[in-house]
Amino acid sequence: MTMPHNISIIGKNKVAEALFTYWKDHADSNVSWNDEQRLAEAELVIETVNLDQYDKRQNLSLIESIAPRTTTILSTSFQWTANELASWLKHPERLVGFAAFDNFADTKLTELAPALQTDPAHLEAARKQLEAIGKETETVDDEPGMVFPRIISLIINESVFAYMEKTARAADIDTAMKKGTNYPYGPLEWVEKVGIENVYAVLEGLHRHLGEERYRPASLLRKFVYAGWGGSGRGFCEHEKKEVKELVK
Amino acid sequence: MVKIKHIAVIGSGTMGAGIAQVAVEHGFDATLYDIDQQQVDKAMASIYKRLDRHVEKGRAEASVMAEAKEKLSVTTDLLSIGSVDLVVEAAPEKLEIKQSIFQQLEEYCPSETIFATNTSSLSITEIGGKVKDPSRLAGLHFFNPAPLMLLVEVVRGVETGQETIDILTAFSEQLNKYPVVCRDTPGFIVNRVARPFYNEALRIENDGVASVEQIDRILKKAGGFKMGPFELQDMIGIDINFATTNTVYSSFYGDSRFRPHYNQERMVQAGRLGRKTEGGFYDYAT
Repeated sequence: MTMPHNISIIGKNKVAEALFTYWKDHADSNVSWNDEQRLAEAELVIETVNLDQYDKRQNLSLIESIAPRTTTILSTSFQWTANELASWLKHPERLVGFAAFDNFADTKLTELAPALQTDPAHLEAARKQLEAIGKETETVDDEPGMVFPRIISLIINESVFAYMEKTARAADIDTAMKKGTNYPYGPLEWVEKVGIENVYAVLEGLHRHLGEERYRPASLLRKFVYAGWGGSGRGFCEHEKKEVKELVK
Repeated sequence: MVKIKHIAVIGSGTMGAGIAQVAVEHGFDATLYDIDQQQVDKAMASIYKRLDRHVEKGRAEASVMAEAKEKLSVTTDLLSIGSVDLVVEAAPEKLEIKQSIFQQLEEYCPSETIFATNTSSLSITEIGGKVKDPSRLAGLHFFNPAPLMLLVEVVRGVETGQETIDILTAFSEQLNKYPVVCRDTPGFIVNRVARPFYNEALRIENDGVASVEQIDRILKKAGGFKMGPFELQDMIGIDINFATTNTVYSSFYGDSRFRPHYNQERMVQAGRLGRKTEGGFYDYAT
């Protein structure tokens, strides 16, 4: 009989909650969430801050100060590349970037992004742990938001621009994308599922790392994040009700 | 509000024939126009064939489809169209052609006839700019294949009247479609919001972040899309997709969010257009 794995999740956002719940239900592991003492015996630590750089650095330095130096660290690489995150560590070779949204439970596949500094053994360790909970993995190159978060964030950003410009009603933008091009969700309802903070983090990361206007977050998206309206049921359809008189010309 | 009973469809290509088919299937009289008799005959035969298939597959009663056939007529004389309630123009995507069609029709159609254009890329406002009463003109953008796709974008030009929008919305609902009203903006809703799905995938691939196959797998398994961006480009036609991106990009005056990728252009230049050439991002040769 193999010993159960010790896994620690560090982060106060919905991504952390989703990972904790999923791991608890799908693996024969000892999983803890924001339990500093348990970091000391962790084989794998998963860190999930996406919005605030100070919080992210604090988390990573807390992990390094308690966890053994051989522990693999999986950290969401949305606003910062795995490369940059690893550069904050004393032992950068054990950090692997990955993608997880608030709806981690709904997805079959998880993307992994090793940094330039990552030791392949740590990438392999991370991959095995994800496979143990039934997730397929794809290893991709280390850029902010990797593949799916990057593409969906840009689609959502464009739908927010269209909404801001009153191109159409929020519900109609969603209907258009579902019925006109077979998307599983409309982008403005999708943002509620994946988490608006995470989408904003990916856009900020791409904008800063690649330095192109193309990735500029729509200003209303930013306002929703600062207002804390992401995933709180106060979505775009609610926002629109206030302005409905002006929309119907 | 005008009640639509009889429509004319201008242009009997794939979209025009599809729109005429949907109309007669839902109890409207439809006159399908094209400049060439052979072309309209071909379109009528293809519509008849698809209506017959509904009966063969048990999707519709033979008597109902026979009635639908009776509701369809074809013509090569634009000026014979006269007193229809609605004209849906599905001519080639050339501004001058579309403007000229409506300019001719306004001489012969009653003043209440609604003018709709199925353009996917031109400005509704600009097409309406040449008619005397632009309040009766709007966009009515069906998706390919029109008989199957459930969305219709009802596009409001700067001078489009609310009644025109209301009539077209009601008409689309009678076709069992989902109408969405949108302003006359480049790419309307779908062709604009969908751009990053293709464009960013091309960028990610060319930058070496992930391969074509990986990106398709990730978007299906992590994103829940039915098809990946490269498979879908191969199905649509890489040339068609590139042309749409180009139009949206130039209509936004070169906003970098819509910038086409040179690698997509290379595929077009190589004649690798997707399934129709047995090779695009993937190979299909048997």
